[in-house]
Amino acid sequence: MFENLKRPVVSSLTLLALAAVPAASQQLPRPGELALQTAREYREQARYPESSHVLKAGEADPVRAKRTPTKQSRRGPEGAGPELSVWASAVSVEVGKPIDLFAEILTGGKPVLPLELSAEIAGPAGEIVAQVVYRDDGRTPDRRANDGVWSARLTLPAGLEPEGAEAYMVRATARLLDGDLRQAAGGFLYSNPSARLTGRYRDAVRNGNLVISAEVEVREAGRFHLSGTLYSRAGEPIGTAQAAAHLEPGRQWIKLPFYGLMFHDRKVAGPYRLGTVALATAGRMPNALNDLIENAYVTKGYKLGVMTALPFAEPKLLESASRLEAEAVRSQVAQ
Amino acid sequence: MSGRRLVISCLLALALFAVAGQAVAQPCLIFVHGKQTNTNTYTSYSSARNYWVNGSADFVRTATKSFATSYYVVGYNGTRPYWESQSAGEVANEIVNATNGGADGGGKRCARTYANGGTFWVIAHSMGGAVMDYILGNNDASDPNFNANGPYDQVAARLSMVITTGGAHRGSQGADAVCLQANPLCSFIAIFIQSCDDATYWLRSSDDVQVKTYSNAPAKTIYLTGGYEAIFGASACLNGEDDGVVQYASIFACNGSATASYDNSNVCGNSSKQESSGFRNLDAAHENHSDERDDSDSDVRKQVPGGIWTCNGVPCAANTTVQSSMTTARFISILY
Repeated sequence: MFENLKRPVVSSLTLLALAAVPAASQQLPRPGELALQTAREYREQARYPESSHVLKAGEADPVRAKRTPTKQSRRGPEGAGPELSVWASAVSVEVGKPIDLFAEILTGGKPVLPLELSAEIAGPAGEIVAQVVYRDDGRTPDRRANDGVWSARLTLPAGLEPEGAEAYMVRATARLLDGDLRQAAGGFLYSNPSARLTGRYRDAVRNGNLVISAEVEVREAGRFHLSGTLYSRAGEPIGTAQAAAHLEPGRQWIKLPFYGLMFHDRKVAGPYRLGTVALATAGRMPNALNDLIENAYVTKGYKLGVMTALPFAEPKLLESASRLEAEAVRSQVAQ
Repeated sequence: MSGRRLVISCLLALALFAVAGQAVAQPCLIFVHGKQTNTNTYTSYSSARNYWVNGSADFVRTATKSFATSYYVVGYNGTRPYWESQSAGEVANEIVNATNGGADGGGKRCARTYANGGTFWVIAHSMGGAVMDYILGNNDASDPNFNANGPYDQVAARLSMVITTGGAHRGSQGADAVCLQANPLCSFIAIFIQSCDDATYWLRSSDDVQVKTYSNAPAKTIYLTGGYEAIFGASACLNGEDDGVVQYASIFACNGSATASYDNSNVCGNSSKQESSGFRNLDAAHENHSDERDDSDSDVRKQVPGGIWTCNGVPCAANTTVQSSMTTARFISILY
């Protein structure tokens, strides 16, 4: 099957073919250029398995990013200010725990005083399950009085515990002093995960990769997803890894393998800190998310030499790169 | 046969050979539509095909260089959330069928199968972007929703890349407005998010429904283009530049808030995406959400940060006008 596509000579021919095209000042992308650029990226990505990759210096922790709530903002009619923004204290809250809801109304970055600020909590079918009134009085959960950030604490009533998880919508309404209304839609996930991390971890090097195992207590059999980010002693995120497994009830271990090359790429020896770790009950949508655990574990010390320095050579990506390079040549020839 | 007839026959044969050869040489384009208010594109091929047509304008015809490149049109249930079996599952199954040489509902098939060395590009519009994010972000056994309802792993292995046009990667503020049932000035009546149906509910801006919460970085690169032509009434409810339905923060798969305001100068670059890798900017066009997928508005194109256009051998500055009249379909046709 088209073994010739895999020959390294194709890459050279591609480069020669593209080099033969005169550099022009026109702006049209050259046919095949996108294919070639994509192939280059795939060859770079192929150094790591899909389950674990290095983070560039200064790059954000992707596990934390996925669990960091963001603001949802809306202006008034015809784009008129002020703008109402809403957000929650977490992307997901576990059953029985409270979640804090926040809101602010800004014009030109400065707070505007509303007459009142409240929200309805609606389920997927549109049913209203709770209502909250936001306050800016400095009393818990509000962090500081009159700072323009309005807060409310919500605990969903008993009886709403989902089998897995349910997405709830926060319909916030601010009544302004002049009588105008501002509305914004936020939300949070109400999760009933079937397992939890016990807090026990262990680590070892296997085949040149750092494998951190995390113990989980499984309440109900299912598919579970674990992701984590490793930090250096200096506090820099180094790399990330994920794993998924079907687990039966009881205490079980999930292995999180961090590909060894990342330690060479970042030139960082151990010990390493598991800075963030996130467990989820997968297998149905929406997934039930456990709370993010921070600073979960510190590994033993490891020398760089015990970690693999070999690229993973992800075959799917290398095959795609070869095909794209051949496609780029064909595109050039066809012109 | 006379000499003249022989010459004509030879010329015709050569022309056919050239067209057929071109189809074999180029990637097969697989088209994935966006949100729907009914199931027509799922049950009727002509509805799925006509999604890309507006009068005499035909996105598929232009993107395939007048059908010189082979193509396949996917039809799925666009009323269901992006992650369901009739959306992501159906799309995944159809893509694999296309790569196996199977025909779409209209009898069109890719010129070369994956087994025979074919390459495949997906062109996805609107919610089709979120569907592809979900498939390509759950293709590995270590992903949370691996092969949830279809052969995501085969899709990821076989596709070369995805291009989204007006992709709802971070949802739509239009969905927020519709689900708030509040502001009558936010008119989405004529658009695909008329009501807060299940698909719309899962296209809101909040984190609990975003595809990034339930998937990882896409296994294959997703290239991003989209429009900045407003739609009267609707655009007033969207922050920053938008195509009348989807705001830039979503079209360009930005990290941070899905409702942040961006324009052609400051929209997120390739290192500030919803995932740490796998999303890259192409450009922006003065098209609205419909123009982006029906080839009806040949208009100005602009460079965006990290975009594909070069000026005198270096990347053009963001917001540079790079074309005065070019549709997104035509733009795609010059990329291969």
